[in-house]
Amino acid sequence: MSRRQFDIRLSVTIASVRIVLRRVFRPLIIVGGISALSASCATNAPQDTWQPKGPNSKLIDDLQQPVFAVAGIIGLIVAVAVIYTMLKYRDRGQPIPEQTHGKPALEITLTIIPALILAVVSVFTFGAIFKLAKTDDTEMIINVTGQQWWWEYDYPVQNDFGITQPIISSGQLVMPVGTKVLLRETSRDVIHSYWIPALNGKRDAVPGRIQTLRLEADEPGIYAGQCSEFCGLSHANMRMEAVALSKEDFAKWVANQQAPYVAPAKDTLAKQGEEVFLNQCVRCHQVNGLTRADGTPAIAAPDENVWSGAAPNLSHLMSRNTFAGAMFNLLSKQCRDEVWNASSDVVGAKYLAGVTEQCLNQKDLRAWLRNAPEVKPMYANPADLAVSDGKYRGMPYLALSEDDINKLVAYLITLK
Amino acid sequence: MFSTGFKYFFGVTVLSVVALIMSYALLEKFALGGVGISFLIGVGALLAGLSAFTSDGTTRDANTSTSDLVTQSMWPLVTAIGVVFLVLGLVTSSIVFFGGVVILLAALSEWMVQAWSERASTDVTHNSAARKRVLNPIEFPVLAAVGLGVVIFSFSRIMLTVNKSTGAVLFIVAGALVLVAGTLFAIKPNMKRSVGAAICVLGALGIVAGGVASAVSGEREELVEAAAEGHFSHAECGPEESKYYDKLSEGTLSLRSSVSATVVYQDGELIANIQGLAEPQKSLTVGRSILTNIIFRNATPGEFRLVAHLGGDTATDKSTDGKSHADETCTQLVALGAEQSLTLKISKPSSAENVYYLYIAGTEDKKIELVVP
Repeated sequence: MSRRQFDIRLSVTIASVRIVLRRVFRPLIIVGGISALSASCATNAPQDTWQPKGPNSKLIDDLQQPVFAVAGIIGLIVAVAVIYTMLKYRDRGQPIPEQTHGKPALEITLTIIPALILAVVSVFTFGAIFKLAKTDDTEMIINVTGQQWWWEYDYPVQNDFGITQPIISSGQLVMPVGTKVLLRETSRDVIHSYWIPALNGKRDAVPGRIQTLRLEADEPGIYAGQCSEFCGLSHANMRMEAVALSKEDFAKWVANQQAPYVAPAKDTLAKQGEEVFLNQCVRCHQVNGLTRADGTPAIAAPDENVWSGAAPNLSHLMSRNTFAGAMFNLLSKQCRDEVWNASSDVVGAKYLAGVTEQCLNQKDLRAWLRNAPEVKPMYANPADLAVSDGKYRGMPYLALSEDDINKLVAYLITLK
Repeated sequence: MFSTGFKYFFGVTVLSVVALIMSYALLEKFALGGVGISFLIGVGALLAGLSAFTSDGTTRDANTSTSDLVTQSMWPLVTAIGVVFLVLGLVTSSIVFFGGVVILLAALSEWMVQAWSERASTDVTHNSAARKRVLNPIEFPVLAAVGLGVVIFSFSRIMLTVNKSTGAVLFIVAGALVLVAGTLFAIKPNMKRSVGAAICVLGALGIVAGGVASAVSGEREELVEAAAEGHFSHAECGPEESKYYDKLSEGTLSLRSSVSATVVYQDGELIANIQGLAEPQKSLTVGRSILTNIIFRNATPGEFRLVAHLGGDTATDKSTDGKSHADETCTQLVALGAEQSLTLKISKPSSAENVYYLYIAGTEDKKIELVVP
């Protein structure tokens, strides 16, 4: 092929590609741009990073607002300059202008200005990082453990807060307002990342490591979060909520969590549900204080069945508002909205009311018990467990009958 | 008709398609490797198309004989050696087999590129440069890594043979020699390259020769004895009876973050310092089935070990052979001012019937409760 033929072929190919790009990508860019712009106008955005609700997140916000403004202005100037240059000097068949190399004064200026801007930004950034890394002013510690795909919270003994025996919970982190809480994060399987945008930035939960994250809420309320490190199939469904309660309400919550187990009355559906729980669920799920018929404690063995070695402790399950890694609500939509939309002075009382029979989201709970892998993607197919040494990652299909599900629901509602 | 480039990429594409079909047929599922092969098929086909479109690779004058351009090659010989190793490996050991695979692949790659480069043009110099351009970026780092590995391995054999004091002296001498050589190169920048190369080669040969001699004479006696008494699998949480187990414990730790607690034995008391809690604690909460790192620091004169009692009978209940209880793990003996880490993973919750705690061997009353919720 001659050089001329090659050039002609190349020109035709490039022209064809340009036409395709124009026809396909232009509408996509327009639709995408409008969608992104519309999304920024959302009012119901509980994970909005621009709405800090605590001193740690405010510290970040105070840093990101001016940095974003400066970066935005610079970005705008660069974009305008690039577009202006593209339009003014675009190829119209004119001869290539004389090429020059090197203009020391301009190059030094264009190096020094960004360096100065970054130096100023770094001073404030480092200041914020050091403040956020402080641990010596901690008032309360909570151990946070991530695993596929839920978060576990355990509260070590801390007499100042009335915690005289360890409390273990999942899905919702409950904390007192105006208290410097230090989360000690780790993971049982893969890397996760804990992030409640309204209260602080992200912190990775890494197996074998303890990473700390400060949390403090100014006002009572519920603050939503999301695992922010891709951790497998149901990463998108690994959610969490931080519930900030007044100190009085927090004390009530602690007292309830430490209350002894109350077995269902004899000859009730709930009692039958307890038996189903002992036969099926206790293989992985612990309920503190639950005993078998012979009086021995029912100790769960998630390490024998679950890859991460843990399953949510279901003691006082109905004091939480969510289940299955906070993917589903235990409260019906109406009751849920009442708690979420409550003002800060009554949200504590509404939260502490827990899940009543009238407010129980039976639909999602029953669907979960009926076939968990169907409603939340998990590695729970018994035929595909060779890679995890025969252990499940998530809750498997238990083949429960509708009768068993009725009994279990009746039992679970008693776990106040 | 078809350019060399087209033939090459077309061949890659066809082989990739065959590999994809075979992997699908043999593995019975579309594994991640299949995705990679699919990409290779796409890339190969694209490059083949571009090669055909641009006639890329057809730089050789078809009317010129290439017989004069072919140089002598050692790669057929190396390939044969690789095949021999491969076959020997089948009946001896997997290391020989994989060695043969590596030699075979390397020789075939070199041979292929050399054959290609000798037909790239009618200019021998250009052909040689083309070969170097393709292979030198691979050859130099690989050869350097292999050479460095041999030197390091030889040095490690020497260190395992000589006693500890001589080892320290050898390190000082080696460092001094490197310093002298570096200084020499710095003050004599115009020194002939051959002199510098000779110094380096002599140094390397000396270390390799020393390594060979050391490997022949074997490791020093205490290492042999330590291995014989199970030094690496030994876990004695009671009084130390072995001769070597506790004699190599580290005095300091690089582990400074990511610890659940620092347990200190001070003034006859055992306390746990937990990040975030100002006061020393007498109990430590450990999550179920979580890898938990604990630092043990001895601040009491003498050598002590920290023992983790993980359920079962009490620590004083030794079995008949005098060994500690199976549910215990411990650090080595830690001298005054030194520290060691202890990693725990406890899968069952603690309870009144199942008590976990940390204690100092020999002083069972000094305890820190381990709470596993």
